[in-house]
Amino acid sequence: MTSPNVRLAQRRGLIALMGRETRRVVSLWTQTILPPFVNGVLLLAIFGGALGSRIEAIETIPYLTFILPGLLVMTVAVPSFSNASTSLFQAKSEGYIDDLLTSPLRGWHLALAYLGGSLVRGYAAAAALAVAALPFAEARPNAAAAVVALALTGLLFGSLGIITGVWADTFDQHSFIASIVVTPLALVAGVFYAAGSLPEPWATLTRFDPLFYLVDATRAGLTGFHEAAVWLSLAITAAAALGAFTLASVLLGRGWRVKA
Amino acid sequence: MTGLTKVYADGTRALDQLDLEVPRGVFFGLLGPNGAGKTTLIGAATGLIRALRGSISIFGFDAVSDAHARLLVGVAPQDVHLDRFLTAREVLTYHGRYFGMTRRQAEARADELLTVFDLQAKSKIKPNRLSGGMRRRLLLARALVHRPRLAFLDEPTAGVDLELRHDLWRYLRRLQGEEGLTVVLTTHYIEEAEELCERVAFIRAGRIVADGKPADLARTFGVERLEDAYLAAMR
Repeated sequence: MTSPNVRLAQRRGLIALMGRETRRVVSLWTQTILPPFVNGVLLLAIFGGALGSRIEAIETIPYLTFILPGLLVMTVAVPSFSNASTSLFQAKSEGYIDDLLTSPLRGWHLALAYLGGSLVRGYAAAAALAVAALPFAEARPNAAAAVVALALTGLLFGSLGIITGVWADTFDQHSFIASIVVTPLALVAGVFYAAGSLPEPWATLTRFDPLFYLVDATRAGLTGFHEAAVWLSLAITAAAALGAFTLASVLLGRGWRVKA
Repeated sequence: MTGLTKVYADGTRALDQLDLEVPRGVFFGLLGPNGAGKTTLIGAATGLIRALRGSISIFGFDAVSDAHARLLVGVAPQDVHLDRFLTAREVLTYHGRYFGMTRRQAEARADELLTVFDLQAKSKIKPNRLSGGMRRRLLLARALVHRPRLAFLDEPTAGVDLELRHDLWRYLRRLQGEEGLTVVLTTHYIEEAEELCERVAFIRAGRIVADGKPADLARTFGVERLEDAYLAAMR
């Protein structure tokens, strides 16, 4: 059983590492927060503004309002993923992760701290995008389903980022997952269209993309329109986020591909 | 350490049923050729090596499963890897906090060690802007921030010039004396072991082949100098 002294040390260590990760995000804001924000604003301006007037409203929802929830999910998912995977990969490849591996911190402490930095990055970028876009959208902000879905997006993709950072031995492996898996998953998750409007098999395949449920639940919260049961979307992604975080904690605890 | 065995994925048996006891409070030297298992032994005791067989007890705590053991151990690895996002002072303060110190305690201890290791003028510099010798000193300081009772120093003077080596010896002797540390030092330099270590073990092919006081080892091998005893043990 862990003694109170060790638990106190672990709690302090967790807060310190979380602070280090947050500080890294904030101090590198032009590389961490600004790019996803600018990306989101550009997509919104191009698809919602320049092209949106030529696209019919979907289920009576103006196109800009329709795509905003999906862009918010993308703006949380991609930076959360890449923050955890990059920070962990750097610590591993440059060797300074040894300082953490020799500390009393357990695997779940390390995973939680890296997740904390990821959430700061994803939520900060999404909050900036929301502030910039909401005045132009006919959305219903503060909807609980949207808030929960965005929270789960960060938890799921931050945890997947940790797993990728642990797994990747080379920068190529690390960037492969980000550019070939995460970004495409985000683009085909129904951000720019309703999945039901696609022909088969694409309509069905879209439902195998976990981001579809997050986009759908966020859209339900912000516009009222959804294609899957909101509670089911949130339950599926909560289970996926819990599973991913548990796996990340176990891998870090066992030192898989991190320890010799 | 009892029956310690580590086989790497490529089949290399780095530690082979190794038994070793380090008495409390001593400066202990571990001598052996490249590939003898010195770094693996340190990694095993400090949580950097996985899938070990055997057991390691540190002041009565299991080194692998009990986080309490981690609080008692400091390590300065052979290769210098320091967090490049932090300044020299922050490297020390964050390390202290990872090991359970409050921010204030960690900052006070960092300032103390920066002074001891003559790094106070570089406290706001990031590690990649420091010279090799300064980085080596910062790594040693980091190992000591949380006031460990046992410090593992893996070839702390490898690749450093003679002047710095003598400086590091001075730091290490002072810290061991003032803080009552148990120090396990690996080195290729026999004169370093003679200068610093009260007890020495020879390691070869993952096993301890002899250990004792330097004079006793020389006597055991029927020679006059520790260097000759080492050469005899490695034959």
